[in-house]
Amino acid sequence: MVSKKVTLVNAQGFHMRPANVFAAAMGKYPCDVTIKFNGNNVNAKSLMNIIASCIKCGSEVELVCDGPDEEKALAEAVALIESGLGE
Amino acid sequence: MLKGINASEGYGIGRVLVIKEHSLAFTPRTGCDPESELKRYSEAAEKFCAATERAAEQMSSTVGEKEAEILSGHIMMIRDPYLDSEVKKLISGGQCAESAIKAICDMFEAVFSSADDELTNQRAADVRDIRDEMLGILLGAQGTDVSAAPPDTVLVARELTPSMTAGISKKNIVGIVTESGSRTSHSAILARAMDIPAVLSVPDAAKLLADGDEIIVDGVEGKVFPSPTRSEKDAYAAKRTKYIEEKKALAEYIGRPTATADGVNLELFCNIGKPEDAARAVECDGEGVGLFRTEFLFMDRKNAPNEDEQFEAYKKAALIMKGKPVIIRTLDVGGDKDIPYLGLKKEENPFLGLRAIRYCLKNEDSYLAQLRALVRASAYGDIRIMLPLVTSLSELRRVKTLISGIMDEFKQKGVKFDRDIKVGVMIETPAAAIISDLLAREADFFSIGTNDLVQYTMVADRGNPDVAYLSSAYDPAVLRTIRQVIRSGRAAGIPVGMCGEAAADRRMIPLLIAFGLTEFSVSPTSVLAARREISKWSVEKAKELAHEIMTLKTEEDVRAALSKL
Repeated sequence: MVSKKVTLVNAQGFHMRPANVFAAAMGKYPCDVTIKFNGNNVNAKSLMNIIASCIKCGSEVELVCDGPDEEKALAEAVALIESGLGE
Repeated sequence: MLKGINASEGYGIGRVLVIKEHSLAFTPRTGCDPESELKRYSEAAEKFCAATERAAEQMSSTVGEKEAEILSGHIMMIRDPYLDSEVKKLISGGQCAESAIKAICDMFEAVFSSADDELTNQRAADVRDIRDEMLGILLGAQGTDVSAAPPDTVLVARELTPSMTAGISKKNIVGIVTESGSRTSHSAILARAMDIPAVLSVPDAAKLLADGDEIIVDGVEGKVFPSPTRSEKDAYAAKRTKYIEEKKALAEYIGRPTATADGVNLELFCNIGKPEDAARAVECDGEGVGLFRTEFLFMDRKNAPNEDEQFEAYKKAALIMKGKPVIIRTLDVGGDKDIPYLGLKKEENPFLGLRAIRYCLKNEDSYLAQLRALVRASAYGDIRIMLPLVTSLSELRRVKTLISGIMDEFKQKGVKFDRDIKVGVMIETPAAAIISDLLAREADFFSIGTNDLVQYTMVADRGNPDVAYLSSAYDPAVLRTIRQVIRSGRAAGIPVGMCGEAAADRRMIPLLIAFGLTEFSVSPTSVLAARREISKWSVEKAKELAHEIMTLKTEEDVRAALSKL
């Protein structure tokens, strides 16, 4: 299991478009990807769960990847969030 | 006449087409064969995705990529691994496909609409749309085909769903009226992107209006005229022609720098009330925010927003503006603006009483929350703090002391902020204008608020029709005051802006250029018109006009001379 804390920088937080980009990217990996936020574990491959978690810009989240390809998944997840999720 | 929210500008004249909601009622079945229900669900989802894909393609060519992505998002939502597994769980337990999809969508709708976040609330509409489309496919119900509507159609619906809007084309749809939605809802964004006039949140519109009725949609004022009279139709036809011509002429100024005819660059900012409005400023080509009225954050609630809530709001505006200036006015309460939970005392003369900066400095604890939020947000963009209703240098000094105290604390704690955050004065009282030379030495900028400045200079209540003739920025008393303030600012080397209505008045613009104003802040919809007016004047010509105007002795003479422009 690997994990890293990152801060969301895109203006609208985890909304439809950014959540879509993120969930689609994470869906490619065989490992479990979880976003830890406000004491909740959010399934990062589920757009619906990400939207429901209301993660706003400036929030710090912890990304946890567990399973095959976990290092690669975490690296892409961190890069996506730090680059503002294509916004 | 029906009233609603003016969500997309313009005028539409045509005939009503009510989008009928087909019945999605069904009798839930239990004890179904999971295998055949799973197959029905999968096939319906496939059909849904294929239809949505087509609609998204159509929308990306007619409206734009961003709007099409909302529809593509629906495909992601229905294919969401969590949603999918939950639906399949219910079906495996013996429920029919209809019950399962409805139960899971209703669950997400409830979660999204109860969230304390407007954007998440809007996603509830997407979930409803997906649910209804899926049920329609499963039940074999047909929706209204919008793309087959005849020319000059005004669409009337309870709510405009993204899938419905895919069929809308400017060729046949001249107006949109709905029973729900706000300026930031999907229907509004789409209507603006397609340049179709829209009035939203008109109560019972779909019930009151019938197919084939004549109708006028006034997207400027947010009005709808069912079965208009001959004279109403003529008036609106003329308005529409004028509007379209003006819009075409203004489109030339999109993306152009704001400069005078002889090439002097000036700043053209927007006045906003809510952080989301910053997006509107960007959409309308504003170059910054010249006035963010923070009172709106305090209204329609039971207690004051705390430091964190305010921080989020200011940061949001800063991020949307991407490093462009955001001038935020600290709480301007009192006078005609009451916020019940603040417990303001009834005053004999509220406009001469405990208002704005006076109230804030009397309630320093709550003011500190606002100042702290502003200093924190300065790490995310070019945030500038503006103090309303200043009458003495001591007020400015007190606020600067408070801010430097906050900065000291943040430095120790390692909180990020902009060490050069600018603190300026809104010049809106005669006292501030008279001591503008003193204020200019200690303020980082001035912004002239003409609405209050006129009222206090002319000692005329702007709401009282009997003295309305005195409420004019053209009065020599006001013009001299404005000229003096700009001179003081320039002498001290600080920028001077204007954020009142006068900044967008095409007759005032040359005078302001001549006096040396460097920043104009106007409502987002006035940006292009103001840019055009500024581009018409060279500084020299503006100075010639100002010279002539400043020799006139009465408001009537000034008005008469300016009306020839």
